Amino acid sequence: MPTLTIDGKTYEFEPGDKVLQFCLDHGVEVPHFCYHPALSVPANCRQCLVKAGTPMMDRETREPVLDDDGNPKINYFPKLMPSCALDATEGMVVHTQQDSEEVAEAQADNLEIMLVNHPLDCPICDQAGQCPLQIQAYKYGPEGSRFEFEKVHKPKRIQLGPNVVLDAERCINCTRCTRFTAEVTETHQLTIINRGDKNHPMTAPGETFDDAYSMCTTDICPVGALTEDYFRFKARVWEMSKTPSVSDFGGKGINVDLWVRNNEVLRITPRENLEVNEYWMPDAARLVYSTYNENRASGPMVAGRPTDWDAAFDAAADALRQSGAVLVFGSAFGTVEDNYLLGKLAAAVGAETPRYIARHDEGSGDGWLISDDPAPNTQGVERLGFSAVDAAMIGAQVEAADTVVVFQDDPVAAGVLDAAALEGKTVILFPTHTTNETLPLADVVLPVAMSVETIGTFVNEDGRAQMLRPAKMIRTANRSLMMSMGVGQGRPDRVGTPFDRWHDESKKVDCQPGWASIPAIAERLGRPMHYKTPRAVMAEAAEGHAALAGATHEAMGLLGVALETEAEPA
Amino acid sequence: MADTLLTGESKAGDWRSYERVILPPVKDLHQIDVYEQNGGYSALKAVVRDGKFDPKGLTDEVKASGLRGRGGAGFSTGLKWSFMPPVDPEKPRYLACNGDESEPGTFKDRQIFEYNPHLMIEGIALACYAMTIKTCYLYIRGEYWEYVDHVQKAVNDAYAKGYLGKNILGTDFSTDLVVQAGAGAYICGEETSLLNSVEGKRAYPRIKPPFPAQKGLWSMPTTINNVETLADVPLIVNRGASWFAGIGSEKHPGPVLYGISGHVNRPGVYEYPTGMKITDLLEVAGGARGGKKIKAVIPGGSSTPPLRWETAVDCTMDAETLREAGSSMGTAGLAFLDETVDMVSWTRRIAHFYHHESCGQCTPCRDGTGWMEKLLARIDSGEGYTRDLDLLLDLCDQMEGRTVCALADAAAWPVRWGIKRFRDEFEAKCKATSFQGADLATAGDGASGTPALVDGDKTLTPGGTP
Repeated sequence: MPTLTIDGKTYEFEPGDKVLQFCLDHGVEVPHFCYHPALSVPANCRQCLVKAGTPMMDRETREPVLDDDGNPKINYFPKLMPSCALDATEGMVVHTQQDSEEVAEAQADNLEIMLVNHPLDCPICDQAGQCPLQIQAYKYGPEGSRFEFEKVHKPKRIQLGPNVVLDAERCINCTRCTRFTAEVTETHQLTIINRGDKNHPMTAPGETFDDAYSMCTTDICPVGALTEDYFRFKARVWEMSKTPSVSDFGGKGINVDLWVRNNEVLRITPRENLEVNEYWMPDAARLVYSTYNENRASGPMVAGRPTDWDAAFDAAADALRQSGAVLVFGSAFGTVEDNYLLGKLAAAVGAETPRYIARHDEGSGDGWLISDDPAPNTQGVERLGFSAVDAAMIGAQVEAADTVVVFQDDPVAAGVLDAAALEGKTVILFPTHTTNETLPLADVVLPVAMSVETIGTFVNEDGRAQMLRPAKMIRTANRSLMMSMGVGQGRPDRVGTPFDRWHDESKKVDCQPGWASIPAIAERLGRPMHYKTPRAVMAEAAEGHAALAGATHEAMGLLGVALETEAEPA
Repeated sequence: MADTLLTGESKAGDWRSYERVILPPVKDLHQIDVYEQNGGYSALKAVVRDGKFDPKGLTDEVKASGLRGRGGAGFSTGLKWSFMPPVDPEKPRYLACNGDESEPGTFKDRQIFEYNPHLMIEGIALACYAMTIKTCYLYIRGEYWEYVDHVQKAVNDAYAKGYLGKNILGTDFSTDLVVQAGAGAYICGEETSLLNSVEGKRAYPRIKPPFPAQKGLWSMPTTINNVETLADVPLIVNRGASWFAGIGSEKHPGPVLYGISGHVNRPGVYEYPTGMKITDLLEVAGGARGGKKIKAVIPGGSSTPPLRWETAVDCTMDAETLREAGSSMGTAGLAFLDETVDMVSWTRRIAHFYHHESCGQCTPCRDGTGWMEKLLARIDSGEGYTRDLDLLLDLCDQMEGRTVCALADAAAWPVRWGIKRFRDEFEAKCKATSFQGADLATAGDGASGTPALVDGDKTLTPGGTP
C-alpha cells in the first residue's frame, strides 16, 4: 500500500484519497469551511492550506533522489496547497499547521481576511457555540484584526423559503448550500448572486427555497448565515442538551440529535449515519419537534376521571381478567420492546397475536428519506409476527371481543374503528396525545411515552434495527431511563446543561413507557414479567424471533445494525 | 550573451520598415471577398485541402514558430496544443477562443474583430484541424456587443463559403464555430471561468488540476487560446515557422499588437514585432502628451507591475526582458503615465477595479481586494498612516498565490510594486504614525492616532484592538 507522511508520521492510504479527508479520518485536525464529505470540492475558502511535496525523482533511473542522510529529497509545491483538493500520492510529505509555522501563518492570514466582512455578532448569533468559524477563528486565527473600516453591508434577513432565513452579512460564501441544492437534492434552488464581497446565496427572482430538505443547508452552513426559521433566536446551543437518537418520522429511521432544554424538544438535527440518512433529513422530520411538547396525554384516567397509576393499572387488569375475548392492537409507532411485551400480555389473557394498523401509502414518499410509510416501526412489528389489520375482517373481530386494548395508536382517526363498533366494549388505550380521537371512547387511559422519552428499538423499512435514547424526562422516575440519560441514581438536575431545569415538573409529561406499564398490568394478572431493563426485553425478543436475530442494544449502539433475515410473512 | 537583458537595445530589428500582417492596411478587409482577394483562407486551403500539414505536423510547425500566447501568460501555443489527449471518438473535444479582453489597458482583440475577423476565423479552423476538434466557442466580451454581430456576420460568410461547417472545402474535416457573447465580468476572461460561463454557469474559476486539456468544457478535453494567438496561425502556415521565429525577440517572436494608452499624443493599437523598445513605442504613439516627462509605464495591462521610467527606458517588450525588469509582457497593453500622475490615486483606481471584479469565490481575493481599496482610499485622501503601507504589503503576501485563479495576484501586484517602486509618493501622502509602537503594522493597534497612554512599562492604546 502507498504511504504518505503527515507532520512526520507515516500513514498508509488508498489511491484516490484526498489529503484533507485523510487527515480528518486519522485524527489530524485541519481547519476548513467549504469542504464537506458529501459535496464536490471547490477549494474556495482557502482555509485548509498545507505545505506539501512529493519525492524528487531521478529523470533517468525513476528512483527517488536521496539527500546526504539517505532520506528522499522532497520537491515542495511552490505554493501552499488546499488539502481538500490535493490527491495523496506515494511518498507525499504534508506539513499541517501543527508542524509548519508557514502553514499556521497562512491559515491565520486567511481567517483574518475572512473576518474582515463577517459581523462579529456572535453574542446574538444562533450559530455561536457550534460555529466552525468561531471555533476555528479562536483556534487558528490571529489574535486581533488590523481592519479599521466599516464592513460591507448586505441584507440581514432574507426569508429564502418557509423554513430557512438568510443573514447575508454572516455568509462566508463557502457555497455549501448552493452545492447541496445542486448536487444532493438537485433542485438547484440556490445560487450565489452578485460579485466579490457583495455576493451571497439567493434564490432566482420570485422563487422560494421550498426544497423538502431546505433546512439541511442550515446544518452545513459553517456560520450563522442560514438558520432554521422555527429555531431562530429560541435557545443558545449551550443551554440545550443534545441526545443522539432516531427520528419517529416515517419508516426510514433517520438518525437524529435531539436538542432539549427544560424538558422540551426545541430542535432536531440529523446525525451522521452513512448507512441510513448520511448527513441529511427532511424538513418535515424536524418540524415534528413540537409534537413531543404539545397536546401530550398526561396522567392516567379511568372512566374519564384522572386517577393515579396504581388505580389505573388495577382497572386495566380487572377489565382483562373479567373479559371473555380480548382484541389487542399493537403499534407501528411503538418500539419493538413495547410491542413484544404487548404480545406476551395478549398471550397471557388468551388473546390472539396483536394486530397493527398499517400506514404504508404507496407513492406518498419521495423515494429517499421521506418514506411511503409514516410509521417508524412497521418492520419491527412485522418481525414480531404481528399482522396488519384487515379492513374487511376487523368489524367482526371487534364485535366478538369484550375488551379492546389499543397500544399507542388511534384506530378511530385511522378509520379502522368507530364509536358504534366500540359500544359496550371496554377500551384500554395507551395514548400519546390528547388529540387522539379514540380517547373519548376509552375506559382506561394509560398515557405512553414517546420515542424521545423512552429506550427502545425501531426497525426501519430497510431492516435496520436502531436504538432510541431518552432525551427528556417523564414524571414517573424510572431507574432505567435515568441511567440511560446519565443521571444514575442521583439528581436529575445534574444532567444536561447548567441552564436546564429538569426539575420543572410542569414540562414533564406524566406517562410511562410500554415496557414499564405493560409488566405492571401483567403483574396484577398474576403473570409477572421480571424484566429489569428494556435491554433485557430486546435481548429476549431477539432470541425468540429469527427475524430479529442480532438486534440487541449492545449490537445497535449509535448507528444501528442491519438485520440479516427478512420479516416472515405473518 | 550579456548578463543583463536590460541593455536598451531594440530586438525588433528594422521596425521602421515593418509591414503589418495581422492588421494590414487594406480597406474593407473584414469582408470575405476582400479577404480572399488578399490571399485569405489560402492557409486553410493549403492545410486542409492540399495536405500541406497533417494535424501533428501543424502543431509541430506552430511549436517551431515559437508562438507564445498573446492573452497574458505567454505560454507556448504549440506546446499547449500538444497537451490535448489522443483523439477518442467517444469524447467530443473543444476549442475555446478567448475574446473576453477586459483588463484596463488592453484593447487589441477588438481591432481583430473589427478589421480582420476572417484571419481569426481561419486561425480557429486551423487550430481545430491541428487538434481534431469539431466545435469551437468564440467567447467575445459582452460589452463588445457590436463586434458580436460583426463577427457573427463574418462567421456566417465563412460558413456560406464552406470554410466552416460540414466537410470544409470538400474534405471530410468538419468544424463548427459558435459565437458567444460574454457574461459581462472581467473574471469571465479567466480561462476556466470562461468554460463555466460557456456552459451557462456562474463564471467561477475552476480549481486545477484537472487542467482544461483533460477536463474542460463539459468535462471534455478543451484548449483555450487568445484571439490574437489564433490570428497568428494562418500567417505561420503561409509564411513558415522560420519567418515567424525571425521576427522580433528570439525567445518571444512574432508580430504583436501593442495597445498604447495613457498620456501619449496618439494612443491606439500598433502592430510591430516583439522586442520593441518602450521608448520606441512612445515615439510610435506620438510622444508624451504636452511634452511632459513620463514617470511610469505599465507594460502589459493593469495587472502587470508598473515600471519606473528609469527602468523602462532600458526595456524591450518581450517576456524575458520584462521579467528581469520586474514586470511582465501581459497583453502588451502599455499605459504611459506622465509626471502629473499621482501614483497613489492610480493604484487606488486599479485596486478599485480588482475589488469590483473579484468574483468572490476565494476568501483572500473576495475580502482582501476590498480591504486593499479601503486602505488605499484612506491614504489617497490623506488620512492614511505610514504603517498602512506595510499592512498593504502584508495583504499582498496574504493574497498572492492563495486563490484558485490569478485575479488575487493581479490585484496584489500593482499595489505591491506601486508601493515598492513609488514609496516616496505614498509616504508623502501618509500621516506619520503618531503613537508609540503603532508603526508596527502587526500590532493591530487602533486607527485613532491618539498618542498611547504609557502606564508604567506597559503601552496601552485607547480602545484596544478595533
